[in-house]
Amino acid sequence: MLSRIEACLPSLRRYAIALLRNRDDADDLVHDCVVRALDKLHTRRDEADLRAWLFTIMHNVFVSQLRRKRARPSPEPLEERHEEAHVGGPAQDARLQWRDLMRALAQLSDEQRSVLLLVSVEDLSYAQAAAVLDVPIGTVMSRLSRARERLRQLTEGERPVLRRVT
Amino acid sequence: MSDAPRPSEADLHAVVDDQASAQQRAAVEAHLATDPADAARVAAWRSQRAALRAAFADLAAEPVPQRLTVAAVLQERRARPSLAWASIAAAVVLAFGVGGAGGWLLRGRVAASNGMRALAQEAMANHAVYAADRRRPTELGADQRDDLARWVSNRMNHPVAPPDLAAEGFQFMGGRLAATAHGPAGMFMYQDASGMRMTIFVQPTGDPRSSAPVTISGRSLDSCVWTEHGLNTAVVAPMPADKLRHLADRVRRALDG
Repeated sequence: MLSRIEACLPSLRRYAIALLRNRDDADDLVHDCVVRALDKLHTRRDEADLRAWLFTIMHNVFVSQLRRKRARPSPEPLEERHEEAHVGGPAQDARLQWRDLMRALAQLSDEQRSVLLLVSVEDLSYAQAAAVLDVPIGTVMSRLSRARERLRQLTEGERPVLRRVT
Repeated sequence: MSDAPRPSEADLHAVVDDQASAQQRAAVEAHLATDPADAARVAAWRSQRAALRAAFADLAAEPVPQRLTVAAVLQERRARPSLAWASIAAAVVLAFGVGGAGGWLLRGRVAASNGMRALAQEAMANHAVYAADRRRPTELGADQRDDLARWVSNRMNHPVAPPDLAAEGFQFMGGRLAATAHGPAGMFMYQDASGMRMTIFVQPTGDPRSSAPVTISGRSLDSCVWTEHGLNTAVVAPMPADKLRHLADRVRRALDG
């Protein structure tokens, strides 16, 4: 079980960074999430849906932090941390497209961004995303739809949208 | 197929996210073949999705900082409040059982443990700093009582909430998370009509046994400290020891309730 939690950390952290757009705040968020998960571990009877459970815990910590204004998403788009990490990686124009995408993503509402990332990047099912965010599936679908349309408007004109071959 | 009902917006997304049934997918594909506008939207969503996945792929490949690992968090939890009680502490100012402060159930030790004494010292030190602060004695105010309770509980891994002491003439002011040598502690501050401030300092202990209240004297303040429900609790206020004991008794009951 513990090793399965460990295996989820990279994607939890990725989601946290994408949400808060500040690595230090994101790491604090993941830390609090792990603390709570270990604390609540005994309440879990099986290992089913461990990932969605961890995302739920993190989302709850995130929301309560927002409420007491301890950490809030940075108004700035996510920036690349290490230029050297991209040496040999994406070329210059790909990097610009990356930046444009992050800039567009930063303009979505927190709610839209959460749904979009959970579904598109973290591969949660619509039902899991609904459980994580504690909203009905219909709300997940309408947020997803608005997020995608908004992102499309924001990146229109810079088309084609980046499709990086990995 | 041309008579098929138009697929819902949700169906379109389900195809993009590969969450559609075969039937849904077939219906959507048939629809897109006849609706260029929707076909363009779906194509845009698809490339968006691919772009997002590619853009965030590197992040998940970054090594996770050491302090976030399960092993590190477990160790941090173990290092937290003293499971290693020094059996029964010796020389403590023992005010137990004196002065009619009845109602305490003695189920464990009589003297203060090291953990209790340490907490009393931390409580007095924090009280001296924060209660004297006229501008910003608390980090979260009385209007954020629930957030404060959640914050402190989360960080201590132990549920705790500031008790209501209005009946004792003390209005809740707020509180903060405090740092101690034994890990995080919660501090709740109150004030009476005369402006006198009282603080309650709580920290979980790994010891399930209860301990009756003892008064620990500091240089300029006293603290009354006890252990119950896995929590060390210290009350500090600038008042005579017997009054402090009485107040501590009220606090204990309020925490119980």
